[in-house]
Formats: sequence, structure tokens, C-alpha cells
Amino acid sequence: MLEIKNLHVKLEDEGREILKGLSLTVPAGEVHAIMGPNGSGKSTLAYVLAGRDGYEVTGGDILWKGESIIDMEPDERAAKGVFLAFQYPMEIPGVAGLTFLRTALNSVRKKRGEAELTTPAFLKLVKEKGQKLNIDIEMLKRPVNVGFSGGEKKRSEILQMALLEPTLCVLDETDSGLDIDALRIVSEGVNALRDKDRAFVVITHYQRLLNYIVPDKVHVLADGRIQKTGGKELALELEKSGYAEYTHKAA
Amino acid sequence: MNVAVMKTKAEQAIAENFEAVAEKLPGSAAVKARRSQAIGAFSGLGLPHRRIEEWKYTDLRVNVKDVLPSAINDATPLTIAELLVALGPLAHVDAHRVVFVNGHYRADLGDFSDAAGAMIAPLGELLSGASEDVIAPMISTPEGGDAVETLNTAFMTDGAVVTIEGGASLAKPLLLVFVRAGTQAQSVAVRNFLSVGEKASAEIIEAHVVLPGSTHDAQLNALTEVAVGKGATLRHAKVAADEGKALHLSNWDVTLAADATYRSFQFSAGLGLARNNQNIIFEGEGGKIDLSGAYLARHAEHIDTTLVVDHAVPRCESRELFKGVLDGRGRGVFQGKIIVRPDAQKTDGKQMSQALMLSEDAEFDSKPELEIYADDVVCGHGTTSAQLDPDLLFYCRSRGIPENEARALMIESFIGEAIDKVENEQLRDALTAYTMQWLGRSPRG
Repeated sequence: MLEIKNLHVKLEDEGREILKGLSLTVPAGEVHAIMGPNGSGKSTLAYVLAGRDGYEVTGGDILWKGESIIDMEPDERAAKGVFLAFQYPMEIPGVAGLTFLRTALNSVRKKRGEAELTTPAFLKLVKEKGQKLNIDIEMLKRPVNVGFSGGEKKRSEILQMALLEPTLCVLDETDSGLDIDALRIVSEGVNALRDKDRAFVVITHYQRLLNYIVPDKVHVLADGRIQKTGGKELALELEKSGYAEYTHKAA
Repeated sequence: MNVAVMKTKAEQAIAENFEAVAEKLPGSAAVKARRSQAIGAFSGLGLPHRRIEEWKYTDLRVNVKDVLPSAINDATPLTIAELLVALGPLAHVDAHRVVFVNGHYRADLGDFSDAAGAMIAPLGELLSGASEDVIAPMISTPEGGDAVETLNTAFMTDGAVVTIEGGASLAKPLLLVFVRAGTQAQSVAVRNFLSVGEKASAEIIEAHVVLPGSTHDAQLNALTEVAVGKGATLRHAKVAADEGKALHLSNWDVTLAADATYRSFQFSAGLGLARNNQNIIFEGEGGKIDLSGAYLARHAEHIDTTLVVDHAVPRCESRELFKGVLDGRGRGVFQGKIIVRPDAQKTDGKQMSQALMLSEDAEFDSKPELEIYADDVVCGHGTTSAQLDPDLLFYCRSRGIPENEARALMIESFIGEAIDKVENEQLRDALTAYTMQWLGRSPRG
């Protein structure tokens, strides 16, 4: 279970407060969508969960499985099962996809007290997980994400997620830049990972993604706080009425 | 310009050194005369310093304080097992080996008897028997030329003289190994002559390595003269992997006949002060060169790559890619001069030099120089210096990769782009292994 308690976060550089007392609970096995207008703090929430530099937690706490993670390094969090699917996945020239995946997987396995995978076992696993996402080995011999289309990059994110087997999956605007076909493949990939032991935080601006990844709960984030929580029908409501009500309230 | 300057302590020591060893240096009377001329020329030149434009960033007058004793008639024992230890990752490169220890040829350690198409002889023996007419074309004494090359002529003890027969294609690379061994502080000068006959094809690797536990007080002056014949191809590499203190002065003087291809790669790590000079002259049309290299410097190490590419004739192509990783107070210098002579139309030249700076105190000096006197040419150059991208590091770390591993991965990928220029896979693997060693990491399985 993910518990975010009265979280206050400011940008280290500007000193501006972005999250202003955000509280949220996501039980294992559930998918919670975070929706909100631009600038409401959605991406900040994603980055703070993953442990990116540049954000200062000035109050509150984030507990994952009962343990505070706010002082953990990003790689420690990954080993604890936290995974962030980036809105804009990075390109890494000069590092082959397979090398990257294997280094990541074995790092995480090592920290989790599991044996490192042999090359044949690793390749077999990648082939199997990649098949469902339309990613073949040839594509992974190329440098990570270099020259990939928007859809390919998002599929490659989901492949990383499938390989690392996280228990807390944070998806940051995964639908941005995707056409309908890519959206379907990516969503199927995510849905295949839904599991009673796994929690999902799906951050999105649009309701569209939630037709494919159907959430258990929808939260409206505006002005650094959860303003409203409801079922999946809340997303449809927002699609109709927009965020004006919440931004107004915030102002 | 001829400015009379007081001789430095080092310059005086070089002159005294020569007096002390002149009689013991190998060579016939003709060779001895050349050596005397050379030391005379050096006396006029002195050690290169920052007021000489080509040495602006690498001032030997300031940096070379002491002159170490010349290793003459050295017979330091070295076993095959020790040779393999010194070779490190290069031991896995399948090659014919020609071995020198402390600047002296060692027949017992070599393995090239079945190198069909190649004639290989140690320079030391040739010098002893040579008459003036044999040696004259081989050893020129530049008047007012390069001081380091002049010193090489004065002090050279040995080296490989390699002739690849016309039309021959060597099945395996030739590995010229220069090992430093023993605890005696030493100054060594070696010279190689590589000649690749018409339409021949060969790969020659120069390795400058150290037997662990040997002295760190070492000064090397290595000059390789290369002639690539008409339509011939030479893949030429140099690997200098040391332990952080040595002085390494290297010159490659290369000429290309028509339609010749020359690909070179220079790898430097752990050198206290290194100057890697490459002078390339296109003598016939249709020549192609691809020069690349990678260097790693930390602490107060200083690695200088200086290229002069002379497009003296039309329709030649030149490519350069050099990448350096600089940590601590490490300093990288890149000077890349491309001259396109008035007649050298249809010249195609591209140059790139990049440095990755890992610390606040690292320094990178990059000076591309294009001198273009022809009007129908395509020439470009670029230079970049950058730090590790924090966003990329975060991306790696969010996938569970620890920070030091993520940094190593980024550095490897940066250097890897240069190493990928090497066609020989075993050599590529060895260079990657050296890079991993430098990063203090075990090889990736």
C-alpha cells in the first residue's frame, strides 16, 4: 500500500511550493488515476515518488509498504519496487537496449537478494516479455530509445516495467504522443501487469487513457492537493466539465 | 624564429646524457654521425615550450624537469608469463608479436615467424650494420624541425622495421609490444618504420605497456614512420596504458600514396604527460584517412592529441573523431590542423573532438585549425565539452542502476562511440576492458 501523508514539496531552485499537503492512499491491487490541469503538480508527484533531485520535501511523508521512502536514492526505491514510466523517456546514445535492460535487471535482482540472470535466461525473458509489446531483440540491440518513435519509446518503458516487476507503478502521462493503436498496445501491456500485489498510480491529463486502463479510483489534483476523489465516472465528468471548477477553487 | 634562451636543467641534462651514452648507442659510423647532427640540432631548438604555437598547451620546458638515464644495452629479464601479464587485456588479441623490453628487441618473446607477406627486422641490428646510403633515406635529420623527433634520432635504440609486400594481405595483426620492466628509472627512445606495399593490407598495433611493479619513473620517445603504398590499406593502432606518472612522447609521421587507406586509433590511459602527434600527408589522389582515438585522464594527468593533416593533392578524404574523459585535475588537449593546398580540390574533411568532464577542476583545450586554400572543398569541424547529463543519470537510477554504475555506463557509452571505430573486435574488447579497468569496474558479462 502507498500512503502519501500531507506531502509538501518545493522546487529546490525556485523555492516555489508545488505540492501543498497532498494526501493519497493506494492499496495494493488497485489502479488510481490522478487527473488535473497543467501545472497542478502531477509530474512533480511522479518525480518525487521516484526520487528525482531538485525537489525538496518540506513536510509530510511517503510510505511504501509501511516504510518511508523519501530519504531513499532512486535506485534504492527501484529495488523496493517503485517504477516510474516517464512522460518523455530518455535516449541513451552508445548504450545498447539489451545492455541497459540487463544492467538494470541485475542491479535490482542483486538488491532484492536474487541471483543475477545468465545471458540465455535474460534473452529468453526479454523475448517473452517483448513479444506482447511488439518489441523484438533487433530493436533492443540499438541504443536505448535512440531514433524510436513516440509509441516505441512508451512500449520500451512498459517493457522495462514488465522486466523489473515493480510493485508500485507510476505512469506519468503515458498516453501523451500516442496514436490509438499505440495506446492500445501500451494499455494492454499495463493491464497484463495488473495484479493483486501491485499498485498503480496513473497520471493523465485526459480521460482517454482511462478507457483502456480502467481505474478503481480517480483523484483530481489541483493546486498541489487532492481536491476530489471518486470512481471511474469522475473522469467522464471531468472530460465534460473540464478543470475550471478546481482551478477556480484553487484560486 | 630563433630566440636564444638559457638552457634549462633538463636541456643540459639531455646534452650530458648524450655525451655519456653516445658510444654505446647502436649504429655504424654513418648512424653515429646522424645522431651527433641531431643532438646538435636539438641544442639549437631546445625543449618545445608554450610560445611555440603547436606546443601552446603542452609546455615541455615547464613540465619536463628531470631527465632520466637512458636505458642502453638493457637486458632486464622478462618471461612469456610476465609479458602476458603486462599485456593485460591485449593478451587476448590474436596477433603476431614483436617484443621490445625497455627499448630493446627481444627475439625470445616474439612470435611472428609465420607472418606471411611481412618482413620484420629489429632496427637496432640494422643500424649496426648500415652504411650511409642505406640509412640516409631512413633517418632524416630535420633542420629546425620537431625537437622531439630530433631527440629520437639522437637516442633511438631499437624498433620494428616492417615491410608488407605488395599485394599481401596479413591474416593476423602485427602487435609491436614495448614493455617497461624493472625498477630502474629509465628514458627510452624507439623508432619504427612501417611500409605497406602496393595494394597490400595489414593491421599493426603498437602497445606501450608496463609490467606491474616496475618503475613509474619513465620517459618514452616513440616515433613511427609510416608509408602506405598505392591502393594499400593500413589499420594502425596505439595502446598506451600506464600507471599515471610516465612521460609519453609519440610521433606518427604518415604518408599516403594514391588511393591508399589509413585508419588509425590511439588509446591513452594513465599517462602522466602525453603528447600524441600525428602528421599525415596525402601524396597521391584518392587517399582516405580515418583517425580516431580515446583518452582517459585523471589526477594531474595531461594528454595532448595533435594532428596535422595535409591535403597536398586533390580528391582525398579525412575523418577524425577523438574523445576524452577528464576527471580530477586531468587535462585534455586537442589540436587538429587540416591544410588544404591550393590544388587540393574536392577535398572532403570532417573533424570532431569531444570531452566529457567529470570534475570541476578538469580542463579541456581544443583548437581546430582549418587552413583552406582551395575553393571546391567540403570541410567541417566540431568540438564539444560536457558533463554527465543529470537527467540521464536519474533515468538509469530510476531503473535500479546504482549511481556509480550509471556513471560508468554513461562514460563507457561516450568512449564507446570512439572505440567503435576500431574494426578488430578483439582489440575493441581489449580497449573496452581497459576503459572498465580505468573506471575501477570488472568487465560486463
